[in-house]
Amino acid sequence: MPTAVEPGTATRHGSPSENRVVAICGPPNVGKSSFFNRLTGLRQKVANYPGITVEKRLGSLRLEDGGQVDLIDLPGIVGLHPRSEDERVCVEILRGQSDTLPRPAAAILLLDSTNLQAHLRMVPGILGLGLPTLVVLNMADELEARGGSVDTKAVSAQIGAPVVLASAVTGAGMEEVVRFLRGSFAPAGKVELPVINNIPAERQWAHSVAARSSYHAPEPSLWGRRLDRIFLHPVGGPLIFLAVVIAVFQSIFTLAVPIMDAVESAIGVSAGWIGALLPDSMLKGLLLDGVWGGVGSVVVFLPQILILFLFIGLLEDSGYLARAAVIADRSMRAVGLEGRSFIPLLSSYACAIPAVMAARTIENQRDRLATLLIAPLTTCSARLPVYALLIAAFIPERPLIGPFLGTRAAVLLGLYAAGFFAACGTAWLLKSAVLKSKPAPFVLQLPAYRWPTIRSLTFRLVDRSKIFLRRAGTVILVTTIVLWFLASVPYQNGEPPPIGESLAGSIGRTIEPLVEPLGLNWKIGIGLITSLAAREVIVGTLGTIYGMESDEGSPALQQALQAELSFGGAIALLMYFAFAMQCMSTVAIVRRETGGWTWPAIQFAYMLVLAYSTGFAAYRIFG
Amino acid sequence: MPDTESDSLDRLSPGVTAVIAALDFEEADRVRLMELGFIPGSSVSCQRVVPLGDLAIFQVEGTQVALRKETAARITLQASDAGRNPDADGG
Repeated sequence: MPTAVEPGTATRHGSPSENRVVAICGPPNVGKSSFFNRLTGLRQKVANYPGITVEKRLGSLRLEDGGQVDLIDLPGIVGLHPRSEDERVCVEILRGQSDTLPRPAAAILLLDSTNLQAHLRMVPGILGLGLPTLVVLNMADELEARGGSVDTKAVSAQIGAPVVLASAVTGAGMEEVVRFLRGSFAPAGKVELPVINNIPAERQWAHSVAARSSYHAPEPSLWGRRLDRIFLHPVGGPLIFLAVVIAVFQSIFTLAVPIMDAVESAIGVSAGWIGALLPDSMLKGLLLDGVWGGVGSVVVFLPQILILFLFIGLLEDSGYLARAAVIADRSMRAVGLEGRSFIPLLSSYACAIPAVMAARTIENQRDRLATLLIAPLTTCSARLPVYALLIAAFIPERPLIGPFLGTRAAVLLGLYAAGFFAACGTAWLLKSAVLKSKPAPFVLQLPAYRWPTIRSLTFRLVDRSKIFLRRAGTVILVTTIVLWFLASVPYQNGEPPPIGESLAGSIGRTIEPLVEPLGLNWKIGIGLITSLAAREVIVGTLGTIYGMESDEGSPALQQALQAELSFGGAIALLMYFAFAMQCMSTVAIVRRETGGWTWPAIQFAYMLVLAYSTGFAAYRIFG
Repeated sequence: MPDTESDSLDRLSPGVTAVIAALDFEEADRVRLMELGFIPGSSVSCQRVVPLGDLAIFQVEGTQVALRKETAARITLQASDAGRNPDADGG
């Protein structure tokens, strides 16, 4: 089906896709993701990391007539003068200059109706790109609740494009958006727009359009001022910041444990069923120990990872994250980075890959490089399973500060701090030696405080679960199966060999001299190799090697580790995982973002040296 | 542009509103700051000075933006007695 043709558009790329493609663009913090979620529901995906230029969200909307519209959610832009990579990609897609995507058939410009005078400034630039464009004034519910109003017909007449007042939260106005997506929307008459690239002129124009559209700005929200008074208080602000961080870590352990127990027993019970169904054979071993045990040992960490992402989502959606960045700016500056580096670094607590990509928003290229080089040092969620296993096995739980902080959470917090300080120290080294640069002006927009919606939090968690399970189903599955084979050959008298005599065992013994100085044996050495694919793989690996149920909560695996590792060795292993670049996906994304192998190679070597030397020191001190 | 004792943004006390006169940055940074709302003619108010520091939060063009003092120092304000820019309604 050809894309619908609107009058008044001169240039149009023939789209190779059958579906009509519509791009959603607009400034940050106008509710773009909830708008996108409202339209696409669960029919969306975050495009795979390797091989694409930007984290773009793609989704689709099925129409009543059976047709389908594909939607692209573009990163937020404040203007068409692309300064950062992110904005460049967005503008390229809208202009049809992107290599990876066809030019969209139409665009939706999403603006915040509660701040219309300022946001209308975006209109001439976007309409000037020549795509049929619908201007959506979002957050209609907030505008109304705070006593504001606007005449959309008057706006439409002045800008020469259809205008809809909508709310992605309540769903108001969304039918009209769908009507536009279908391609059946009467275009408004052509209007002379101010020359773009002159911001003061655009601003004057925007203010006068708002004034002539009987725009009444809503009352300022008093809540925002009050909350800022608390969160940015000279003493209270940093204390709240600290309390929030501690609460997140404590709940990763306390809240997640009952859920993880349930997942674990479900895996155990289902393994029993499968075992009963299958005849004894090599295949049964592969399925039960290799696939079920290996993948299951990783899936059991899903609750902890979801809790971490739930908190990050709450902080981000509520608007607190930007305040936290303000509080953190001083420390970021001490290591020579700009405050904006804080956001990618914070997301690297979830995963280094989106963090490396989030660094695109940093305009100064040297700051950007420094940020993406240090991002993998912060504690990503893949380290969590490893930390959880070792902490549970080697650190006895005792209360430290009443019921609020126990020894285990404190050790975990310490590991996070170790990663954080390593990242800061590295940044300081880089910025004072290799990547010196003039400081760029630090500018950070603070979004309005908003209640996080259950809807948007759910979408985040579903998204993360999908990514995590996809990893468990691919990289981790393959590594587990390969390892299982290596541990099962050569067969002796029709039986799998003892692990020490298997192929995996001989590989392990070959590298043992390398890991011995850290107090580790050849079995852990095998884990260090397999976990290059993904850090959490080591849990499944140890499970396979020790030939037992491999869950972090499994007492058997914990006991086996206690018998094999000294306390110093365990601390050395924790240090190794804190600092080593045990993640091939991150290496790949850094290569892509820096355009060559030089930086990822330096990064890998640097992190390996750091990991090995701190591990060695830890074993000497605690061993 | 009134060049008589024009004040800069970093000297604006919390709670006071003024109108931006000019931005003294190289082109790229100037455009960026304007895109975020620091446009000559816009009215700006200081909302608070952040703990321990050299950051302040400004309300400009309907949004809150945090700037470092050194950045704010390079944004000049119209002299307050020169009359408000008629376009700067400030919401």
